[in-house]
Amino acid sequence: MRRTLLIGLALAALSPAGHAAPPPPVIITIDMLRGEFVAQSGSDKVYFAGDSFGLDANARATLAVQANWLRLHPEIMVRVEGHADDRTPRDQALAIGERRATAVRDYLLLQGVPAWQLSVLSWGKERPANPGGGEMNLALSRRAVTVLMPR
Amino acid sequence: MIRIAAIFWALALLPAAAAAQTATTVTVVAVPPLATPKNEHTPAGDTGALSRQIAEVIASDLRASGDVVPVGPADLKLYSYPEATAPSFSQWRSATQAKALVTGFVEARSDGRVTVGCYLHDIVAGRELARQGVAIAPAEWRRAAHRCADMVYAKLTGRAGWFDARIAYVAESGPALSRVKRIAVMDSDGTSHRFVTAGDSTVLTPHLSPDGNRLAYVSFAGGRPHVRLADLSSGNDRPLLPDNPAMSFAPRFSPDGRKLVASLAAGGNTDLYVFDLTSGAVQRLTFTPGSDTSGSFSPDGSKIVFSSDRSGTPQLYVMNANGSAQQRISFGGARYGAPAWSPDGERIAFTRSGGEGLRVGTMTPTGTDERVLTAGPRDEGPSWSASSRQLLFQRSDPGGVRSSLYIVPVDGGDQRAVVTPLGASDPDWSAGGGK
Repeated sequence: MRRTLLIGLALAALSPAGHAAPPPPVIITIDMLRGEFVAQSGSDKVYFAGDSFGLDANARATLAVQANWLRLHPEIMVRVEGHADDRTPRDQALAIGERRATAVRDYLLLQGVPAWQLSVLSWGKERPANPGGGEMNLALSRRAVTVLMPR
Repeated sequence: MIRIAAIFWALALLPAAAAAQTATTVTVVAVPPLATPKNEHTPAGDTGALSRQIAEVIASDLRASGDVVPVGPADLKLYSYPEATAPSFSQWRSATQAKALVTGFVEARSDGRVTVGCYLHDIVAGRELARQGVAIAPAEWRRAAHRCADMVYAKLTGRAGWFDARIAYVAESGPALSRVKRIAVMDSDGTSHRFVTAGDSTVLTPHLSPDGNRLAYVSFAGGRPHVRLADLSSGNDRPLLPDNPAMSFAPRFSPDGRKLVASLAAGGNTDLYVFDLTSGAVQRLTFTPGSDTSGSFSPDGSKIVFSSDRSGTPQLYVMNANGSAQQRISFGGARYGAPAWSPDGERIAFTRSGGEGLRVGTMTPTGTDERVLTAGPRDEGPSWSASSRQLLFQRSDPGGVRSSLYIVPVDGGDQRAVVTPLGASDPDWSAGGGK
């Protein structure tokens, strides 16, 4: 208690009279970084057709921009999460999710994102993009999401 | 695990003509209320009341099979305790059209349990076909009824009884985008329901060991999907591969319960492995760059059916249990997955994915005689009854919002819902019988 007071007095003595206190440090939350990442990359998701795990031109373009951002943010870890639509039997959905996530991981590696920054996970068909059926919801579920995490 | 002490009396297996009829002959069987030597109080009700309730469950089990037609217990005459073992066949011949008769008794024991005797008679020939007795806690009277129904069903159809069996499944609650999933176990008739996992992690595809004591399933606990083994009596729960960073899933026990077949996925490649649960030995079975998953042993343990997309689309393959002689069997112009080999070895059930959505069907182990049994659009994950006559599967509504369990006879016909307290998916029927 007494020591804290002394330091406080010392700081007061050092700060030039008439000036405001220095601005508080800017705290960047992971949510802010995620927002910036999505804004700059266009999307944190890429989509797949049918049973495929191949990356089309749209997906590759998105991932190239994602990779640029990730290379500049080595403080961020990335988990690529692969998903299947719910017209896929459960076990196969886990396998195809892993394959999609790995395809994205491999492309990010190719674009220069270091391996230690990247991991993969499959959700199978456990996390659909939207509730309800319909071809559009199925298509939106066949995806891989680049999830940013604090290191 | 429910412990029951079973006393099997010498089975009076007379070489009767009515024994082991073919499944195409539907036998009518009379199931009057059981007898009791003395109406005594038990914690589950008086033995007189139990006598009627047990007969009701026996009749209800047999009716659900579709292979045997029970009459009673309502409107059938009562008989005395001595008549359980020596029925008056001439009276039964005039009283009913039934060809077979189930009798029995409920007797309170000095140790607090009850003895439930069960007899099957051929009314026409006037002789006993089978008998068994079970000493059981009064509260477990339903299992005594199921075991009696198993005996009657096995004797009349020549197939394994399947009423004293358990169902493991995934209980689902909460919204579709953040579903809470818990492993649950119940008796085949929906009673003795309990949860095995707490719902804090997503869990999938429970499969019971042949003795019904252990459960293999997939859990996302810790983030990564991986196979876990739960001991249902001790509550012990552990990962199959504690130090392996690969994703593991699709576990299924071998028929002797000593091994587990499961898939490991890493680097965009999923392959099948067999894990020896006692020695810890691991054997890799597939080496293709595609996804090889959903392994299911043949009942003699010599072969494994699985799904693979090595041809470009998911199809069914059969191989020897050591991984040799892998051969595609599905050529029906659709995608196939979730194969399950029937307990009698005759057929393989599957989920078929095509323009109609997901549907459940069967084919022979060589891929011939494909039959689609359900209309879809979201029917999947078939599991066999011990009799190989019924399939339990998961049906989701067209919007994929709620799933529930249904049973379909393998010859087609009426489907019936299995009542569960919450939404339900990934059903697994234990082998049933001799537990």
